[in-house]
Amino acid sequence: MASTITTPVAGNTAAPPPAQRVRNRPAWASQHLGTALIGAVAGYAFGHWIGNVIGAGYTVPQSNGENDVAVVLGLALGALGYLIGIGAFNYPLAKLIGREPLPEVAEEGWQRYFRFNLDHKVVGMQYVIVSLLFLFTGGLLAMAIRTELLNPTNHFFGAGTYIAVVGEHGTIMMMMASSVVIGPLGNWLVPLMIGSRRMAFPRVEATSVWLFSAGYLVILTALPLGGFPTGWTGYAPLQTQSTAGMDSYLVGFAIIGMGMILAGLNLGATIINYRAPGMTWGRVPIFVWSVLATTALLVFATPTLVVAGLFGILDRTALTAFYVNEHGGSSFLWENLFWFFGHPEVYIMALPGFGIVGEILPVFSRKPLFAYKVGAAGMLGVALLSFFVWQHHLFQSGINPDMRPLFMLTTELISIPTGFIFLVGLGTLWKARIRFEPPMLFALAVYFNFLIGGVTGVFLSDVPVNVTVHGSFFVLAHFHYTIMGGLIFAFFGGLYYWLPKMTGKTLNRKLAIWHFWIMFVFFNLTFFPMFIIGLLGQPRRVFEYATRLQGLNDFSSVSAYILGSSFLIFAFNFVWSIYIAPKRAESNPWGSRGLEWQVPTPVPHYNFERLPVVVADPYHYDEPDQGVADFGTFSEPALSEVAAPGEQVPPADVQSPDDSGDLDPRPPIV
Amino acid sequence: MATPVTNFKETPEEIAYELRAAEGAAWIGSRSLIGVGSFIYASLAFAFFYLRSANQAQLWRPNHVTAPTEMGATIFALSAATAALSVYGMYRFRRGSVVDWEVAGWMGLLLGALGFALQIYELTRLPFYPGSSGYASTFIGWGVLNLVGLLGGCYWLETLLARSLRLRRAVAEDGGAANSTLPAARLFRASVEGCTVFWGFLAVVAVFFWILFYLI
Repeated sequence: MASTITTPVAGNTAAPPPAQRVRNRPAWASQHLGTALIGAVAGYAFGHWIGNVIGAGYTVPQSNGENDVAVVLGLALGALGYLIGIGAFNYPLAKLIGREPLPEVAEEGWQRYFRFNLDHKVVGMQYVIVSLLFLFTGGLLAMAIRTELLNPTNHFFGAGTYIAVVGEHGTIMMMMASSVVIGPLGNWLVPLMIGSRRMAFPRVEATSVWLFSAGYLVILTALPLGGFPTGWTGYAPLQTQSTAGMDSYLVGFAIIGMGMILAGLNLGATIINYRAPGMTWGRVPIFVWSVLATTALLVFATPTLVVAGLFGILDRTALTAFYVNEHGGSSFLWENLFWFFGHPEVYIMALPGFGIVGEILPVFSRKPLFAYKVGAAGMLGVALLSFFVWQHHLFQSGINPDMRPLFMLTTELISIPTGFIFLVGLGTLWKARIRFEPPMLFALAVYFNFLIGGVTGVFLSDVPVNVTVHGSFFVLAHFHYTIMGGLIFAFFGGLYYWLPKMTGKTLNRKLAIWHFWIMFVFFNLTFFPMFIIGLLGQPRRVFEYATRLQGLNDFSSVSAYILGSSFLIFAFNFVWSIYIAPKRAESNPWGSRGLEWQVPTPVPHYNFERLPVVVADPYHYDEPDQGVADFGTFSEPALSEVAAPGEQVPPADVQSPDDSGDLDPRPPIV
Repeated sequence: MATPVTNFKETPEEIAYELRAAEGAAWIGSRSLIGVGSFIYASLAFAFFYLRSANQAQLWRPNHVTAPTEMGATIFALSAATAALSVYGMYRFRRGSVVDWEVAGWMGLLLGALGFALQIYELTRLPFYPGSSGYASTFIGWGVLNLVGLLGGCYWLETLLARSLRLRRAVAEDGGAANSTLPAARLFRASVEGCTVFWGFLAVVAVFFWILFYLI
């Protein structure tokens, strides 16, 4: 039985055979971010013009001076032009005439990050860049909010501007958070972790990242269009009544939603089908389990958001009445559809964070992951239950009071599988010799923060508490503790952990530790006072408040500025360590047993010289001599030897490619 | 500098393994797509029943207004016929008759495109204003979503038919697209199967909403 780790061979660098037809265009004639932006501008102008032509025949746009048809068509066609400009439609159009894809192209250099690229590692890095753009934009808006709240009566902004900034901040952050782990780390790591050379649908994957960036541009247009007064939840009837900034919200969320669905489709199909021989379900890394649970939410919950957004767009353009009570619609329809997506969305954000922490803890504890199967089951349980809790967001809406206990119960039930995940972490840490490296610090902080966020979540699921603190800063503090305290800390832990593999460079450890402590301390100093502020009665999204709360608000604001500055340390560290004074990273600096760490750095284009044959799960830190995978020559007979007891490895039933005629025997990239 | 990734020396076993994975991905992908579609249409159905039960301002469906029934029935019939042709084509395809599948496919494509065009036409000929009632609004929503579904289904079918024409010569000596063991043929079959199931799903959706909007 093959049971030792053999050193993998670095990527093959032999010259390509000349017979392959490859499109090599000069830089000026190729498609890249520049052509995408040109396409976006042209698409917007064209859509806006069409919208004006259509709107010219109707009295509503003429009388109120605002043509939502023009704005929506402009934004939608702008996004379409952006995708055409980057080249996302080249292959779908070529398919119309039966064309096969051209051979996959391995690009080198920084330009590849600004093109439509099919390498999952490039897509992952593209996601990193766009996610950080989202994060820093949303962070700047947060600073603006805290600046306004420095004084209860003297204002930096008008009331309308303030709510527009709040809405923009919330929406940008939620859009970012929905993809911040699944996009960068999910795309970059999943194939490597499961022993695959590729994604199932690389073009779908690449399209998802460009939709993500298109959504960023669209939501940015909300501010020049007047913003939207609804906050990130977009509640009707305010949604129907507000100005053109609302169109950016609806179109932007729909675009981001489509990107999320595509990302989920691709990742789910990849995990199910592309696991290496011997990578049975009992050996799948816990991060991959978290991604799999998340893909189920992406595929099944996000369509509801897209449809809800479509209804909103139709209300604002075709003048339907989905959310207009006076015309047979109902504003609560939006609330229901939105939260049917919105609550699973919370777990779309949280689960991958748990997965990251589950990967980091065993490495820095040098212990097996405690109760691995319980952790995986917990993630699936959370994903399933998250579809049955959405009504707790509507406790105050006048729903049938008899329904409240039911949704209170389902919401409280979800704390059980979440508790499983906590149990896994605590059991792993028990009696461990912990190495306090930056990734581990962030992972430990996730448990601290999420405990506070989770426990206050249990409070909020109880109807009496919910009724008392609804719409207050208490709720705001709760979800910042779960999303920022959980997800964003996990994201940075993951970045510090995997960036040496992703970039081949080592980040400065001291700066990373400074980043952690400032972020951790001032995160808590920023948001913990908000629980008190909320209990004392300050409502969210209102820029004036009781003067007796100024001290707490000022304390929170000053802490927020320092919290914000901690991200600058990360940005500086990132630029300094990777571009200005790069220091080459070792292949496996943390001594991890994960499959992704067993390949050379930088990771070859096709990941594995030979497909690995997995022989154990990656968490046997108590048995240092046991290998994880055999990287030797892949051969079918080995498959039956590596299956875990009771698990079956699918048989080989394909013909030898030697008789494959003139067609490329390799499966085409679809 | 762009270089093609053709220099990777995969072993026959690796190629076989990845091919099997690609077939599985086609299966999972098409079913996941149906999952996405299910939640999209379920959202519309939820809106229908929610607004119907709420009946705000007594404006769910004043005077029992109905969209043009004959046109709606025709669109439904066209969707169902395309699905039936896809299923029949698949049945013949599995028995080795690629030409039968192609003929059924082109016919289905024609009918599906006709249904698409008729759906657009119907939306311009409604006897009610879009915002006049809850029923009117949800009907507009159905029209838009049905257009998206039909367009997606027609696109998938057309690309397969075009691919079939190009594939014909390449797999002729290996038993044709229905029997060839070549990877391209195997993946083609997986996609045909997925497309057929997708059209079946669209037909079920068409039946469901036809009953909802025209019968009850």
